[in-house]
Amino acid sequence: MRPVSGNGKFSAELVKRVEALWERYPDRKAALLPALHLIQKERDGWLSDETIRDAAELFDVPDMHIKGIVGFYDMFHGQPVGRHVVRLCKTLSCKLRGADELRAHVREKYGVLNGETTADGRFTFKCFECLGHCEVAPMMLVDEEKHTELTTDKLDAVLEALA
Amino acid sequence: MSKIQEHRVMLKYADDPEQATLAGYRHNGGYKALEKALESMTPDQVTEEVLASGLRGRGGAGFPTGRKWQFVPETDKPKYLAVNADESEPGTCKDRQIMELDPHQMLEGSLLCCYAIGAETAYIYIRGEYPHSIKATERAIEEAREAGLVGKNILGTDFSCDVWVHPGAGAYICGEETALLTSLEGNRGYPRIKPPFPAVEGLWRCPTIVNNVESLACVVHIINNGAEWFKGLGCEGSTGTRLFCVSGHIARPGVYELECGKFTLRELLEDFCGGTGTGRPIKGVMPGGSSFQVLTPDELDCTFDSDSVQKAGSSLGSGAIMVFDDSVSAVEVALNIAEFYSHESCGQCTPCREGSDWVRKLVARFCRGEAREGDIELLMDVTDRMDGTTICALAEALVWPVQSYVRKFRSEFEAGITRRAAEHEFGGFSKPVESVP
Ligand SMILES: Cc1cc2nc3c(=O)[nH]c(=O)nc-3n(C[C@H](O)[C@H](O)[C@H](O)COP(=O)(O)O)c2cc1C
Ligand code: SF4
Repeated sequence: MRPVSGNGKFSAELVKRVEALWERYPDRKAALLPALHLIQKERDGWLSDETIRDAAELFDVPDMHIKGIVGFYDMFHGQPVGRHVVRLCKTLSCKLRGADELRAHVREKYGVLNGETTADGRFTFKCFECLGHCEVAPMMLVDEEKHTELTTDKLDAVLEALA
Repeated sequence: MSKIQEHRVMLKYADDPEQATLAGYRHNGGYKALEKALESMTPDQVTEEVLASGLRGRGGAGFPTGRKWQFVPETDKPKYLAVNADESEPGTCKDRQIMELDPHQMLEGSLLCCYAIGAETAYIYIRGEYPHSIKATERAIEEAREAGLVGKNILGTDFSCDVWVHPGAGAYICGEETALLTSLEGNRGYPRIKPPFPAVEGLWRCPTIVNNVESLACVVHIINNGAEWFKGLGCEGSTGTRLFCVSGHIARPGVYELECGKFTLRELLEDFCGGTGTGRPIKGVMPGGSSFQVLTPDELDCTFDSDSVQKAGSSLGSGAIMVFDDSVSAVEVALNIAEFYSHESCGQCTPCREGSDWVRKLVARFCRGEAREGDIELLMDVTDRMDGTTICALAEALVWPVQSYVRKFRSEFEAGITRRAAEHEFGGFSKPVESVP
């Protein structure tokens, strides 16, 4: 999409959405978290130093402020990610129902450790702390879809279906 | 058949697929409480009713909700409600049920709170890892806005209130109320020193009430049915019904709406939930999330209510009950907990930042069977020094469970000391799959 407003670095659609977010708060800075989610989506799922500079300019805050936020929150990625982000819960309820086995399976079958991306660029795996689906453990979030009561077979089936 | 029965008030219509829509919610009596309050009650009367009901916050700390609302000062400054939907305490998955299945209930409770405290803006801070809750809540707000239930002159009265969803981005600490506010303002989620309490100085230094999703859902039913009715449910100190999340080694995991004070913790787990379901006996129970002490099988005969569980040496916390059987190493469970808190420490306070990392490494050493003589004492000493020396309660949320594991499963820790490892069932039991970076 052609950049038209804002600081000219983002699509017009995104700028419109950020401007609508600004209306919700007495201080624009408060829209940073929701806006960074949108920006991350528009920029291939991660927030590079260049993207951070662009966002800082749009919000009129220092680059370092946004860099600090990106480093603090687990859902923002300071490094490139695969086409899909797989978040595997590792906390107690999931662990008691097989999360460790799932992690071992991911390491063996997909050849990646926590935080790494598969060689074909399809998946980035991240171990997450409690994802709040303890009653249907173990679980993973793949992008914005949840998959519960996982087994290694089920995990493979979900991932195989994704390009 | 178990003598324990669910008593569904908040989850009454959770199985009705229409309940998440405005039409469905209204069909089942939704927004009647808001109508009642706006037509026939003053804001103070709403607060009085909530106070009289004995409702205690469901986010973990159990503070009386009506009392909290009374702390909001008379002032010309704007006032805010921040709904705590950050649900990240290990084992907790109850607010999610309300948001995904019945989001209007949370919205109606939020509007009632705003009316009571005189707020014209509410932000619902939902953890970023709950995309389904975020979407369901946003949809509910849009529908309500179109129907004149959110925005200017609600139901034709002079009460106006805007409500917005604010997504978090993955940080447990943002569930702590002051961290939630700092995060909402567009920063790293750093807790603030209290006082001032948020009710006096919160968002943009204005009075702000922070309430858990379930607490607000309760308010709807208190206004509909009255404080006396609410007090007639549960028991003294734990009035009303509460949502409990049962997970781990349990035959019937799930989220159950229960009245406290009617049965024991053992009856709940062994009778109602069918025991571990693994054919093995219970070894440990975390009755209120991972931030409180573990209970052993001989400690489960306490009545199931906040005060009794507290007397037994733990807490019902956020209503998350995690159970494990005797196939599990207690040291390994303690390591999982230590990893959680060391990952989630915001890093502001030295005892918490350094201490949580140290605790994690120490417990991992026991887990690998590589601990040294004196490491148990070291672990207790490090954790003692974290207790009560930090800005927020996250440090204690690590100290209390870890110390309880050392005290109650000491022989397993001793078995993690190198030279003794070979002699114990759980000695060197596990190699952590991969340590968390
Ligand atoms: C480390 C930490 C994490 C917390 N996480 C949550 C949470 O995820 N959800 C929640 O409602 N309260 C959480 N709390 C409790 C809040 O600080 C606060 O007491 C609560 O939101 C108040 O609402 P209530 O009175 O309705 O329970 C947490 C507290 C601490 C110390
Ligand atoms: S106790 Fe820990 S989490 Fe809380 S403010 Fe201090 S460093 Fe941050």
